[in-house]
Order: sequence, then structure tokens, then C-alpha cells
Amino acid sequence: MSSRGTAIRLERVSKRYRAGRSRTVVDLIASTVDSLRGRERDVYSAARGRIDSTIWAIREASFDIAEGAGVGIIGSNGAGKTTLLKLISRVTWPTSGRVLVAGRVVSLIELGAGFHPELTGRENVYLGGGLFGLTRRDIDRRFDEIVQFAEVERLIDTPMKRYSSGLYARLGFSVAIHSNPDIVLVDEVLAVGDAAFRRRALESLRRMIAGGKTVLFISHDMWNVRRLCERIIWMDEGRMRAIGPSAEIADQYMEQVNLRALANQQNALQSHRGGTGELRYTDVEIVDASGRPTAIVRDGGPLTVRAAYDAGVAVAAPVFQVAIVDVDTGLVVGTAASSPADVPPVVEGPGVLECIFDPLPLRRRHYVLRMTITDSCQLVSYDVVSAGPRFAVTGGGPADCAGDEEDGFVTLPFRFEHRARVLS
Amino acid sequence: MTTVAAERTLTDRAESINAAAYWQLLVNLTRREVKGRYSQSLLGIGWAVAQPLAMMAVFTLVFSRLGNISADGVAYPLFAYAGLVPWFFFMNSVNSGTMSLVQYRNIVTKTYFPREIIPIAQVCARLLDFAAASSVFALLLIYYRVDVTRWTALAPMLFVLLVAFTTGVTLLTSAVNVFYRDVSPVVQIVLQLWLYVTPIAYPIAKVPERWRRWIAANPLSGIIEGLRSAIVYGREPDWPLLGVSAALSATVLIGAFVLFKRLDKYFADVI
Repeated sequence: MSSRGTAIRLERVSKRYRAGRSRTVVDLIASTVDSLRGRERDVYSAARGRIDSTIWAIREASFDIAEGAGVGIIGSNGAGKTTLLKLISRVTWPTSGRVLVAGRVVSLIELGAGFHPELTGRENVYLGGGLFGLTRRDIDRRFDEIVQFAEVERLIDTPMKRYSSGLYARLGFSVAIHSNPDIVLVDEVLAVGDAAFRRRALESLRRMIAGGKTVLFISHDMWNVRRLCERIIWMDEGRMRAIGPSAEIADQYMEQVNLRALANQQNALQSHRGGTGELRYTDVEIVDASGRPTAIVRDGGPLTVRAAYDAGVAVAAPVFQVAIVDVDTGLVVGTAASSPADVPPVVEGPGVLECIFDPLPLRRRHYVLRMTITDSCQLVSYDVVSAGPRFAVTGGGPADCAGDEEDGFVTLPFRFEHRARVLS
Repeated sequence: MTTVAAERTLTDRAESINAAAYWQLLVNLTRREVKGRYSQSLLGIGWAVAQPLAMMAVFTLVFSRLGNISADGVAYPLFAYAGLVPWFFFMNSVNSGTMSLVQYRNIVTKTYFPREIIPIAQVCARLLDFAAASSVFALLLIYYRVDVTRWTALAPMLFVLLVAFTTGVTLLTSAVNVFYRDVSPVVQIVLQLWLYVTPIAYPIAKVPERWRRWIAANPLSGIIEGLRSAIVYGREPDWPLLGVSAALSATVLIGAFVLFKRLDKYFADVI
């Protein structure tokens, strides 16, 4: 790849879908009668409500993607991400504007969509390969590679209805990426399959980018998007909200998601509740230095969790616990438990407790708080809030220079010491 | 016949995969269709023979014994079977073809490929049935001691016409069925009636003069009458009748294909 041409270009692309139910003969007659009488043709049918309403799935999207680029597409559900991929893969056509593509496109909108459950894995590799433009000879040549990548050697001559969904997806992914495309469209399909396969799949996508292929990658996992993609397109209600360098756009997006989550946190404590209930949290929030609720913590800065509680009866020696859980992986990255010196020996009625982590040595990821109150022996749980407030650790200190700064969960204290090599 | 261009250029057209791959896809979809239909079935391909044979028995009883229709010098069962084999090929293709795009919606909405491959694969899958039913037809020909004549050589051409017309109708009904599911029940009813306005149970010569040109406007009439004169009777076909069939079949195929390609951009949106 000496010079990077343009792989994908969208020129003011809009896509409209018809929502609601489709027309029936009755509606057709009604609209015909209406138009004969010279009335407005917007179709209402008296008893059955409005039809022909439309939804703009994409509005006025324009962008260029260079050959060999890895580009993430992010946004909430219904933002138009999948429609964008469908337009690029020619599954659907724009209502207005132009979609220009250079080279062969393979879309992984659903893995193994072309497979037939009655056929064996082997037969489906040939069937699915045909969908991706592979001839029998192409597949013969790559067959072993495809099967090895998916790790389904043992089941290759078994009908696919006996496969688990993870295996099904693995074979689908493997066929797709071995079809030698110029452009790969990936739609949140790596959620299936186990961790090892996910890692291998991401690694293969990364290799494709390095080899000059263009990869468009939809994911809600900012972690993977940032690692795989140099640029991000942020879709919001059918419009392009932003396009730019991954780290920047991902941070903007997460900040917005967190603010939105914060607004919805009023009732967060009501759900996922366990425990015996003598003593309960009534309100849990993360507050910033000036005591205002927030969902964003600067890396290296303090984290203050303010918990209001209420004890219906007198409870002796309660232990308040805060666990910080990584949202993507569900791993507990750290815990804090109150000691007898931190709280009164007996609590009754309402009160407020603050738990302060200073500094918070966490990497830039997303975390959720798990809050519990137990007795001093940790045998009885008075309250269990399994999904408390969420927060994101974001940059704010010196500018990024390390690309892989998000690797790992915690920032460990360390130092390097260099010594001249000594022969022993 | 586009091949992958060495120099990739931006285009807003869809075709960029080579024709060999699409041929492969057609073969695979056909195989998938055939395997899906006959897996876990005891009689399997035997059903393709049972269907026209059973109808032949009914026709023989009703039209030949009770209705007293004569087959112009050949055994009536042979006469009826010769018409029923192409008829069932047509009927079954259109029947399963009509729903095919809807059935394959999960690949239509998720990957790009020329959509016509799906209904055409349905027609191809029925070719296997046609071959099985034809082999029984060959046995009948031997049993009734029918001789091969030079007109038998016309049979392949008539077969091409049959496939062309069948493909045309299947493309049409499958495409429209994406938009209006009413097409499928309508097709079922029309096919039931169509059997009787096609000279299958009776020779077209028996049709009263004033109705005959309406029967002739049915492309299947010329094809089935033609196949019979070529193979069963071994005589020259009714050329004007066959000409009408050929012209109509070509028109239907071309027209249906053009319409299909117009509509296929919207398939994924409405299916």
C-alpha cells in the first residue's frame, strides 16, 4: 500500500424507512377514493390509524474512509449504525445521496446467516463461501485454514443444527474473513463466542487492517473500538454526530453516555436489590470535589462515593462495603469495607457515609459500584445493590502519548532501574 | 461477466464479485434446496415421480374412462403423463419460488448478492424432480413401444422454452410476493385453474374452435402440445401455436427479469 486511496465515500446519504403497518386493499381503496374526490393523499384510514409514516434511519451522512483504515462506528441503539453498514454492503440502497465503494465488501452483519442447519459444517462452508463470492476451488484451497480458525475440526461433518450458537458464529466469522475481501463490515458480532475466540477474531481484524484492508467495526465496547480503530464515527439518531480520532470521540461519547446514565439514576437503587432490609442504602452517588454528583472521574484524581442509608431498626456494628466492578468484564477491581472505627457502634435511622479513594489508581475504563451492608461477621447481608452508580475514568491530566494506556485496570506504582550488563 | 479489477475504483454499482462465484452460489443454493427437501423423507426423490403418476391415474379414470376423451391414437395414460411431467415442473417451481425470497430473508437482509439467484435456484432444484419424472416417462415410452422420430430432436428446444417460461413466472411472483404476501395464495388458486386451461388432460384439438385461441394464448399450451407431438406422436408440431408460446415465454422472461432488477433494491427494506 504505497498511497492510500479512498475505500468508501458517502455523499449526503439519507435513508428513509416506512414505519408502521403496510397498506392493505382497504387502504388502497380508501386512498383512491380520496384522490378521486381531490382530497389530500396522505393516507389515513378512518378506523385504523395513520399509515405511511416514515423514519429517517440515516440523514445526510457524508464521509470518506481511506483504504486500510480501521474505523469504529458507535452510538446508541437505533442510531443508524447497522443501516450504515447495510448501505455500504448494498443490502439496501439510499433514499438520496450516493454510496461509493472501491473493492469487494464482506459484511458480517449476522454470522452464519447463509448457513443451513440441515447441512454439515463442511457443506455450509461451501454454501456460505459462495455468498461471500468464493468459488469451490477458492474454498478447497482455504478449507483447512477456515476450519482451523473456527476450531470446529471435530464437528465439521456434523449437521449444523447440532452446533452451539457460539460454534455457529465462529464458523460464520471464519468463512467471511477468509473470503479475501477489500472491505470488512463487522456489526457487533463478536459478542458471541468465548473470550479466546473473541481475542483471535479481533487479532485477525487487526491483521487485516495492517495488511491494507479497510475495516468498519460497530461495537458498544469502547475498549475494543479504541484498540482496533484509528478513527470513530459517532452516530446519533441517524445523523453523524462526530467523526475523528478514536480516543477523542470515544471520550466524548462516553461522557455523554455517562451524563445520560446519571440523569436516569434516580431509580437505579430500586432494581437489583437483595438483602434482609433492616438497613438499606437510600441514595448512592459519586460526587466531585465540590460535592456535586458526577459520573466522570479524572484519572489520578479522587473518587468520592456518598451513600445515604436508613436503618429501620437499631443495627449493631454494620459493615458498609463498596466494590468497584469493571463494566466490560464484570471483574471486581477493588473493594473497600468500613472498619468499626468508621461508623457508630449502633446505627438507627438515616445517616450519610462517604467512602473516598484518593488517589484512585484505575485506568480509563467504565466501572459500576456494587454496594453492600453486612453484619460484622459478614454473615447477614442487610442490603445488596448489585448495580449502583456507574462512572468512567477519563483523561484530564497530561496529553496521551502511550496508545495502549488502557491496558489493564490499575495503575501500579513502579520504577525501572537500568544497569549495565554484567557477565557473571 | 465482471472480474475483480486490479485497480480498485470507487463505484456506486453493486456487482464486483466474479460470475464464477455467483454460479457457485446458485449451485450451492440448489443443493441446499434439494437436500433440505428430501432429508428425513423415506421416499425422497420418489415423490417427484409419485406426484405425476397419481395425477395420471386420476386423469385416466376421470377423463378417459368416464369423460371418454380419446388421445388421438396413443394410450391415454402415456398422453396424460407426457403433459403432467412438464406441468408439475412448472407448478412446483412457481409454488416454491413464490415464497423463496421471503424464506431466505435472513440472507437477503444481511448480505449482498444478485437476488435472482434465489428464485432461479428453486427452478433448478425442480429440474432434479423433472429428470426423475422423465426417466419414468422413458420407461412408459418403452412399455408402449413408442418409436423415436426425427421430431424427437425438437424436445430439448421445447424444454428450454419450458424452463424460460417457468423462470419468468417464478421471478415475477417471487418479487411481487416480497411486497404483497397475497401473491402466494393467489398463485395457489391460479395454478389450480391453470391446470385445466392447459391441454394436459385433453388434446387442444378437442377444444371448441371459438375457445381455442384463448387456450393458445397460454404459453404452456404450445410447449406441452409441442412436447407431445415431438415425443409421443413423433410428428411435426403445430408451428403457429409453438411460435406464440416461444414469443410469449421470451417476453415473460425478459419482462420479469427487468421488473425483478427494478424491485430488488427494495427487497431488504420491505421483506
